[in-house]
Amino acid sequence: MPDHKDITPPELTKDRGSLHPINHMKDSIMSLLVSYGFEIVDGPEIETEEFNFDMLNIKKSHPARQMHDTFYVENKSNLLRTHTSPVQIRGMLEKKPPLAFISGGKVYRKDDDATHLPMFHQVEGIYVDENVSFAQLKDLIYKIIHSLFGKEVELRFRPSYFPFTEPSAEVDILSKEGKWLEILGCGLVNPVVLENCNIDSNKYSGLAFGLGIERIAMLKHGVTDIREFYKSNLDFLSQFK
Amino acid sequence: MKIAYKHLVQHIKEAPSIEHISNKLFQLGHEHEIDGDILDMEFTPNRGDCLSINGLLRDLAVFYTVDPNQEVHTEKLNKLQLDFENLSKNTCPNISFLKLEIDQVPETYKNSLDNYFTDLGLNKNNFFTDVSNYLSYETGQPTHCYDAKKMGGKLLFHEIEKSEEFETLLDKKITLTGKNSVFSLNDTVINLAGIVGGKNTSCSPNTKAVIIECAFFEPEAIIGKSVKYDIQSDASHKFERGVDPECHEKVLRRFINLIDEHANIKEMSIISYKSKDNQIHQIPINVKKINQIIGINISEKEYLNHLSKLGFDVEEGLIKVPSFRSDIKTQNDLAEEVARVIGYDNIATSKISIPNNERTNNKAIENKLRFFLLDNGFYEVINSPFVSLAAEEAIKVDNPLDSNREYLRTNITNSLLENLLFNERRQKDSIKLFEISDVYSSSNGISKKRKLSIIASGRVGENYKDFSKKINKKYLVMLFQEILPNEVFDFKLVSRDLLDTKIKNEIVSLEIDIDKFSDDILRYEEASSPPDNFNEYRPISDLPSSIKDISYSVKDFSKIMDLTNLLLNYQSDIVKNVFIFDYFKNEKTEEIKIGFRFVFQSKIATLTASEIDVIYNDIKSKSLDIQGITIPGI
Repeated sequence: MPDHKDITPPELTKDRGSLHPINHMKDSIMSLLVSYGFEIVDGPEIETEEFNFDMLNIKKSHPARQMHDTFYVENKSNLLRTHTSPVQIRGMLEKKPPLAFISGGKVYRKDDDATHLPMFHQVEGIYVDENVSFAQLKDLIYKIIHSLFGKEVELRFRPSYFPFTEPSAEVDILSKEGKWLEILGCGLVNPVVLENCNIDSNKYSGLAFGLGIERIAMLKHGVTDIREFYKSNLDFLSQFK
Repeated sequence: MKIAYKHLVQHIKEAPSIEHISNKLFQLGHEHEIDGDILDMEFTPNRGDCLSINGLLRDLAVFYTVDPNQEVHTEKLNKLQLDFENLSKNTCPNISFLKLEIDQVPETYKNSLDNYFTDLGLNKNNFFTDVSNYLSYETGQPTHCYDAKKMGGKLLFHEIEKSEEFETLLDKKITLTGKNSVFSLNDTVINLAGIVGGKNTSCSPNTKAVIIECAFFEPEAIIGKSVKYDIQSDASHKFERGVDPECHEKVLRRFINLIDEHANIKEMSIISYKSKDNQIHQIPINVKKINQIIGINISEKEYLNHLSKLGFDVEEGLIKVPSFRSDIKTQNDLAEEVARVIGYDNIATSKISIPNNERTNNKAIENKLRFFLLDNGFYEVINSPFVSLAAEEAIKVDNPLDSNREYLRTNITNSLLENLLFNERRQKDSIKLFEISDVYSSSNGISKKRKLSIIASGRVGENYKDFSKKINKKYLVMLFQEILPNEVFDFKLVSRDLLDTKIKNEIVSLEIDIDKFSDDILRYEEASSPPDNFNEYRPISDLPSSIKDISYSVKDFSKIMDLTNLLLNYQSDIVKNVFIFDYFKNEKTEEIKIGFRFVFQSKIATLTASEIDVIYNDIKSKSLDIQGITIPGI
């Protein structure tokens, strides 16, 4: 029989908190991209129409610029950025190619339902150099998706449309249930955008991509209602330790 | 847009299956769902040219032998005498009118017109409008039909900027405001251009004489109007995305043909107004550039063959863009055409190597803070910046989603306070939260500050040493002093006086600019790192929880392990959490007192006392089976 006087008290478990699953996902993706050679750049969430739209070849008549899609502030003098792309515009204006930037953070659109929120998170990347091709973009996207979802995952590229890329693509992965799910948008930087940033589009070309963090986090964690992420419910948050 | 499979396949020689066409449409970038024999298409906004049977066939011609085989009226047409003036030629550079009169309105429809309504399950309206709607489906060009008997007087196309009442042919009354492009008859608006016609000149089932308007409107003049007036029309959808400016004569001759199939035409005449010729866009042939953009190596012959199938002509070293492809302007646009034809998935990858850039981590301090807080039981939250309470320097949102939240927050603490109360209402008795965020104000232009805010209340922790300790200012000051002894933190007590709560625990908060932290924090070594794997989330319950404590007296210390193993691993659908909240070893009496807290909660319904008791009694009974263990009082 053991000496009962030497009994060890129960382990004093220290309560550990958790990172917010969206920030954790964003950090993970950004770390991955940094390991590929991308540099992190930051920019403001309150932007001008010039950086959020004009410089990105989004025309005045584009639906996204309507009051029902974009939040405007201070008598329409500024807006809440609708994507993180303006950060890359600022980066391209500051530095000369070759350049490879990523930016991540909050973006805002006038949506509110089980799969869309007025505030959500994106990570976007851009790489500008000589002879950057669509075939190279595909290689990069494969690397990203395989890192996120495993090498076995089946993916497909579909032609799409973004004013700031041409050619443009959307990328889907095949879910376990056999359904194609859209994961990211990408393309070669529209030469108009390069010229807007004083980059010679005859000499340089670029690739760009953007991921919606909530979408990926929902898939990875099996969360079906995006609103769960922002209720700050400890029963929810404590599952991501 | 819904398109019937049979309406497409009847023009395709190879007669492919719907699945085969579906695969090719995906390759071309045309998203859709299949519902029986219907393809529910969702086109990207740059491909307005595909919003019709003929438009889709033009793209599918890359893969199949396509023949639209639609007969048009070929005979010479009389000139229509119409009192019309175009005062806004920039908005509408091309417009044509066709006048038709028939002797009898047909009672039934034939051929493609009949198939259109039958196969798509659409409601008929009146003969001329029905033909117009079908023709838009077939050709992509919307037309508008006015009852010719209601069209006496001067017809004007112009831009107005005045408030005016307008009743649409759908019986909806709207007030036109701001700038609008309209058709007016004798100074009364009869048509909101490109969106919807007016009731006062619309066709009826008895209409035998009609004036058909076929126009090109610049998309910029149309965009936003359908949303502004809450009128979703097929015409506005197409004009917003751009229609073919060169198709009018063919479309109107096709209109005549369709009428001719159904009725005896007594009179027909046409007039076209063209204020500028459509510029054929030409792009130099440069297959080297195309190969470089995509990362492939195709010959010029192959390249031009792809474009030819899509309707592009080549002349003197130039690629001539067809009038219906207003989206094609550059080599990159052409590269996308080629990539679509090849198939994005058929383009081989080419290894990418990004030169290493400098890696500055401007978030190092912030990230250390996060891990320090994590190690001490804090949970990171993210809150919406939209708030109702406006500080003087708060930035106002011009078009808020919720009029009760029309300002951007100037502090994070108020959001965290809401989070804290939310969790207290869910019986949480140890709440430690933090958020790091940019906060904006308009005190001096628009200024941005990156801030950390923390809030805490209730028990220090669940373990038996922290369980009875309450979070207070002193606790948090000591916590921070441990890692940042040289910095002073202004922790504040938040009064509960104005809060809707009966809980008395102190609420302590801190809000501080991130740049106030010194590099000293970088010396902190985190106890653990966040998980690499992403957990499968278990849906949570919003139903109330209940607590039951059981305290044991243990004389045979060797049984402690059996007891803790039994209770901490006790499985039940309604036991949400169990932990040791009390532990005391009495050296004199050689007795250990150990207390377990059980938290009960169901995901289905609020638990009754008897439902909890069933499990509670089972726990007690199983634990008392262990020799040398008692529950004082039992």
